[in-house]
Amino acid sequence: MSRKGLDQTLEFLANVERAQTAADVCGALLRSVKAYGFKHVLAGTIPIPGSNKRQQESHVILHEWPIGWWDRYFSNGYLFVDPAIRRVTTDITPFLWSELDPLCRDNPMASRVMHEAGDFRLKHGFTVPMMTLEGDVAGFSLAADRIELPPYARGMLTLQMTLALGRTLRLELNQHEAERVGLTDREREILQWAALGKSEWETGEIMRLSEHTVDKYMRDVRRKLRVTSRTQAVAEGLRLQLIS
Amino acid sequence: MIHIIDAGNILQYREEMEQAYRLRHQVFVDEMKWEDLRKPDSRETDQFDDGRALHMLYIQDGTVLGYQRMLPTTQPHLLSEVMPELCEGERPVGPHVWEWTRYCVARAHRERGRALSPIANALLSGIVEWGLASGVNTIIIEMDPIWLLRLVQLYFRVIPLGLPRRYGQGDVVAVTAAFDSRTLARLREMRGDNRSVLAPSEQAARRALS
Repeated sequence: MSRKGLDQTLEFLANVERAQTAADVCGALLRSVKAYGFKHVLAGTIPIPGSNKRQQESHVILHEWPIGWWDRYFSNGYLFVDPAIRRVTTDITPFLWSELDPLCRDNPMASRVMHEAGDFRLKHGFTVPMMTLEGDVAGFSLAADRIELPPYARGMLTLQMTLALGRTLRLELNQHEAERVGLTDREREILQWAALGKSEWETGEIMRLSEHTVDKYMRDVRRKLRVTSRTQAVAEGLRLQLIS
Repeated sequence: MIHIIDAGNILQYREEMEQAYRLRHQVFVDEMKWEDLRKPDSRETDQFDDGRALHMLYIQDGTVLGYQRMLPTTQPHLLSEVMPELCEGERPVGPHVWEWTRYCVARAHRERGRALSPIANALLSGIVEWGLASGVNTIIIEMDPIWLLRLVQLYFRVIPLGLPRRYGQGDVVAVTAAFDSRTLARLREMRGDNRSVLAPSEQAARRALS
């Protein structure tokens, strides 16, 4: 059984590595976990107590969450009484929401949050705590109105959810890097033609520029990308999604 | 600075290696409660601490503050001998794959909550610098899955070798983590320092080898 779980995880990894946006990552994850009933995803770092709605929302990294519940949850400060959040910050092991009952006992607000989530078809969930490089605790939840999660699948989901969040954070890093590189539209267009195999002379013909001008632009592109060859420039441009 | 110690220079580091074995005992036995490793002399050593092991010590003013051990996968190592059940597919083997074990930082030097401390960063940078200079590009790690995200964020390309299993109180998963010059650039960017973490003698020796 386990080998199958590993194979599914490796297949998921291959899919998520192809994802180019957070929405792609969510889609790949939901496809992979739908066999267990999961329909919704929410992942983010934990905001400090007292944060307002906007600050709380800015901590979200991945989401496919019922909008009605999102609004109610973040507007009412439910995050700060949510027993799942409390558990994420105190214990590093993954858990099912059904295991949170002890945290809800004698705590009417905690019970209320869990109960109201059920009204938005988020009755059951599985949450994995993670640790970011910056030292922040992140929580990653999958949820639905009904789930069927055999015990052996928990480890597999833990891996897939971690790889999904990792991919998303790397996409964010690439984006910051792309912004820092700061290619102009013209430089990007020239790099795009290079990626399509056009020589500088051909690119010049297409863009109605002299070969010399194209060469000059290409030099600026290489300098900004901190590479020395056309091939490396194309590879970096593809990685940073400056070209396609 | 990171000092790399192998069979060739271990006699020159006798005192530091003593400190390293004690640090391992403090962290893994006294603190993390791996009782199987407890030793009456408070020096944690095992069957892999022989001539093929490569010890990396973070030494500051003569004191060992951080430690990790690299084992070649071409010879017996933890994944092959102690926890083979963690690897469900083919076991990665080759001169370019080494196993990373016993990574630890002295308690007083793990500052700033749970963020990657400068010594932890230096240890990781040490692996990557050593690997890039010696033809090693992949490490095998057995770890709690909670730390996986950090590796991915550091531009290690992480591939699970099996599903997590429970050992005592915690989960352990085996992965390979491949690295390249981008990993080193990211570590250096986080440290805010572009210089090598390897002690000068190491750099010279590595350069001579490569």
